[in-house]
Amino acid sequence: MSARQYFFLLVALFITECVTATVASARETLTFGVFAYRPDHIIRERYEPLAQYLSEEAGVDVELEVLDQADMSRAVAANRLDFFLTNPSHFLQIRSERSLTGVLATLVRRSGNHSTSSLGGVIFTAAGRETIQSLEDLPGKSIASPGVHFLGGFQAQTLELLDAGFDVRRSNRVRFVDTHDRVVRSVLAGNADVGFIRTSILEEMAEADPDLFTRVKVLNQQALAGFPYVVSTRLYPEWPLVALPHVNERVVRRVASALFAIEPDDRAAVSAGITGFSPPADYQSVEYLARTLRVPPYDQMPQVAWIDVLNQYRAWAFTIVVLVLLLFGSALWLAKSKRQLAAQQKRLKQLIQDWPQPALLIQNGIFVNTNRAAVDLLKYTSNASLSGKSLEAFSPETQPDGQISQQKMEQRLSRVRGGQVEQCEWVLRRSDQSEVWVDMTLAPVQGEGGAGSVILCSLYDITRRKRAEQRQRLAASVFDHSREAIFITDSHGMVIEANDAYLEITGWPQSRAIGRLPPLPVEEGSGVFASARAQGFWSGEFRCKHLVGEPRVLAVTISSVCGDHGEVSHFVGMFSDISRLKEQEQKLTIMAHYDALTGLPNRVLFSDRLQQAMALTRRQGSKLAVVYIDLDEFKPVNDAFGHEAGDQLLIEVAARMRAVLREEDTLARLGGDEFAAIVTNVQQEASLESLLARLRNQVAEPVWVACHSVEVSASIGYTLFPQTENLDGDQLLRQADQAMYEAKHRGRNRYIRFSAPCA
Amino acid sequence: MQRRDFLALSIASGFAVAGVTGCSQQQPLAFGIHPWIGYEPLYLARDFGWLPESVTLKSGTSSKDSVDRLLSGELDGAALTLDETIRVLSRGRELVVVAVADVSAGADMLVVRPSITGLADLRGQRIAVEVNGVSGILLLKILEVAGLARDDIVTVDLPVSQHPQAWARGDVDAAVCYEPTASALQRAGVVRLFDSSDMPETIFDVLVVTRATADTNPEAVRDLVGAHFAGLQHLVRSQHDAVYRVASRQGVDPVDVRNALATVMLPDLSANQRYLAAFGRVETVARALFPPDAQREHDQQPAPVKTPV
Repeated sequence: MSARQYFFLLVALFITECVTATVASARETLTFGVFAYRPDHIIRERYEPLAQYLSEEAGVDVELEVLDQADMSRAVAANRLDFFLTNPSHFLQIRSERSLTGVLATLVRRSGNHSTSSLGGVIFTAAGRETIQSLEDLPGKSIASPGVHFLGGFQAQTLELLDAGFDVRRSNRVRFVDTHDRVVRSVLAGNADVGFIRTSILEEMAEADPDLFTRVKVLNQQALAGFPYVVSTRLYPEWPLVALPHVNERVVRRVASALFAIEPDDRAAVSAGITGFSPPADYQSVEYLARTLRVPPYDQMPQVAWIDVLNQYRAWAFTIVVLVLLLFGSALWLAKSKRQLAAQQKRLKQLIQDWPQPALLIQNGIFVNTNRAAVDLLKYTSNASLSGKSLEAFSPETQPDGQISQQKMEQRLSRVRGGQVEQCEWVLRRSDQSEVWVDMTLAPVQGEGGAGSVILCSLYDITRRKRAEQRQRLAASVFDHSREAIFITDSHGMVIEANDAYLEITGWPQSRAIGRLPPLPVEEGSGVFASARAQGFWSGEFRCKHLVGEPRVLAVTISSVCGDHGEVSHFVGMFSDISRLKEQEQKLTIMAHYDALTGLPNRVLFSDRLQQAMALTRRQGSKLAVVYIDLDEFKPVNDAFGHEAGDQLLIEVAARMRAVLREEDTLARLGGDEFAAIVTNVQQEASLESLLARLRNQVAEPVWVACHSVEVSASIGYTLFPQTENLDGDQLLRQADQAMYEAKHRGRNRYIRFSAPCA
Repeated sequence: MQRRDFLALSIASGFAVAGVTGCSQQQPLAFGIHPWIGYEPLYLARDFGWLPESVTLKSGTSSKDSVDRLLSGELDGAALTLDETIRVLSRGRELVVVAVADVSAGADMLVVRPSITGLADLRGQRIAVEVNGVSGILLLKILEVAGLARDDIVTVDLPVSQHPQAWARGDVDAAVCYEPTASALQRAGVVRLFDSSDMPETIFDVLVVTRATADTNPEAVRDLVGAHFAGLQHLVRSQHDAVYRVASRQGVDPVDVRNALATVMLPDLSANQRYLAAFGRVETVARALFPPDAQREHDQQPAPVKTPV
């Protein structure tokens, strides 16, 4: 080969190098994040060859970045990573935060001649801890763990212990120390009782520290044939290697094929402590774990669609819906009936409150409720002034029947509590101290018994009735005890009621008095009722026959009583026995007109009769004579024999003179020993004179008085009527008197006619 | 369905409070079980404490133990294949299928010497098989597919657990077996020629209880089924964990467990209800397996799959 050829070769090589370099610099760079589950430098040292391998095989520059979980999450969120390798729990969390293309491959870990794509948790303590032998000894112990999002460093153990019966998150103090190495150191240093780490850590650390296993004690160790590590829990798939969605699909394919192409003997695999990558494992078990423990991303209650719930629990849902409907329905019904009840109650309360009759509720002897009428009855202003007081507070000390109000009420109330209904009359005292009669009804309120039972007290104002009764009683006693006979008849005059006086005056027994006419004047009969009907009353006096005794004179007044429509419905009659009164009246009449000694008319009656006789004489055209008679020598008889003898003489003389005169003539004693007579129908003066002579003779006859025969005579003067002059009775008597004086003057014992003095 | 059952259960539990003493006096349900990936959920449930005291697991080495002890009355229930169930039924013990644990989708297989390349080559070969087990059924199916008669092969009746030794001694040319023995044999150099994935939804592994237990102790049956589904959920959801636990219990490598899991279908609750429905797949298969004269005794329907989820 010539030097020129070498030169050309060199140039060609240089150009090729340059081109290659240019191409290389144009290659895209991928960032491969690896979770630092152990100290950063260890991870970087281990995985750097893998990054290089991928760079070579996939034809892209792969840059390794070792991150803790928080940084990795941030980097993923910022799309700063293209691929990452982390533990399954952390992967689930990232996957829930953003959509991922999924797992590209699952790591297969190497351990000596074995390999496994499973991992688990190790629970260990320092070898010398005798008190910690099994999982049952763990509660209360302090625990060191790399972090919550470590599958083999926390979650696997937590589930195992949950199955053993306790939750370390509640019953233990767990310190999170970020890496597995620190957990081991922490336990060995005695800072924590127990350590949680993932499988393979102890074996890896034992490479640098061969007697590590003599210083630790693994708890709950599982005997799993073929599994290369000590393990305390069940197993889960190893770490996933994940591609982010933004990575070119072609690149993903190339990376994936490079990953699967890794042979166990490759430097990248040996350095990373793996034997390669297997197709993606099923991470369902990890999801189940996270769900069971409720750790992120399953720390939220799952969002379950209603329709799912409905499908799953159709029968339950139906039952619940029916129950809820029933409940709702019954609640509505209850509310409605409650409303109705309330309205009804209000109406009832209103009814009781406005009930015109006073009503009160009594409990334990005091008012608990009163209505308006009761307040009004007692003349108070509000219910408040009544409630809380007893009935006795509104009663006078004693009731009209003489019982003490309080005692009487106690008796009543105790009987009512026994279930009886009590009714009585009661006097209450109002606020203005006036008294009011009430008809009181006490009744137990149904359904409640015992001392605390409620008693309904209903009052009815009977004051007016009581007063009417009093008036009636008074009227009845007047009727019964009156001395006047009182009777009441129907509209036809038949007696329907009569008092005792009536029976006494009529002399009729009760049976005869009732249903008959009362005593009536004979001439008018029951016509008196017609008069009473027409004029409103009738009154009169009449003589009436007594059943057994003397006839009586009755003074009767009958009044008509009108009914509602103005028609006469009854007659009320009243009469009194005036027989005695009539007798008295007659006696008085006699005393006024007759001389008590001789029984002859006196001067008054004489004048009266003279008037009548003069009128009659004038009418008949006949004559009459007025005769004046004076006894002679009467005074000596009187003086000699006493007044009684004088009176006897006068009686005898008067009787003799009376006997001489005719019946129709009048003889009167004018006083002392002076008499006057009217002789009517004088036909002839001669017959008159013979009459006068007989008079004189009769007087002159001796009279036997006081055992003595005495003799008197009469001087008589007379005059006639009519005369020429018109004279009155007194003038006539004066003329006769003058004539008598003439006779006296002429020697007594003679009769002289008046003659007018000659002028 | 599930929810209604939950409701019914909740209500029933409310009523059951009064009868608690009566329940507690009952003997625990003795349930026979042997190593098989489909039955692992019950072991997981036991290990995690999800199996109530009303059920006790009685481990045996193979299904034969369970069958014998069921017939002797020692067990109240067992995990069996469907054909074993019918075999027990036909021998007079009335059983009720309460759950389908798994459906074989390649778990049962015919492994052969590598020199045997086709089913036709089986003629005259010595084949290890557990005749009175599911393997017997599979063998019949294989012969049917191969167009061979029973006499065309030499049957070596051996429990599956003894197949590796028989192979190591060179006593057999082929074996009808299942996991995890199948994996062990394969590591010893045999190859898989035919498996149950060639006859899908035919080999059922079921949980059965006696009729008497179903009638007298339904609570325990419910607990058993509930524990199975709880374990199944862990097996499926937390496979990373479960494989190690199954591996350490069976004493095999976790990889073998993963392989075994790939050869079975593990029906969940709703799939179970589908399988166990009247005229469902289980009943259809059972009728095909069952001699017609004995069908009256075969009663599948009451499977009380009532599980708190």
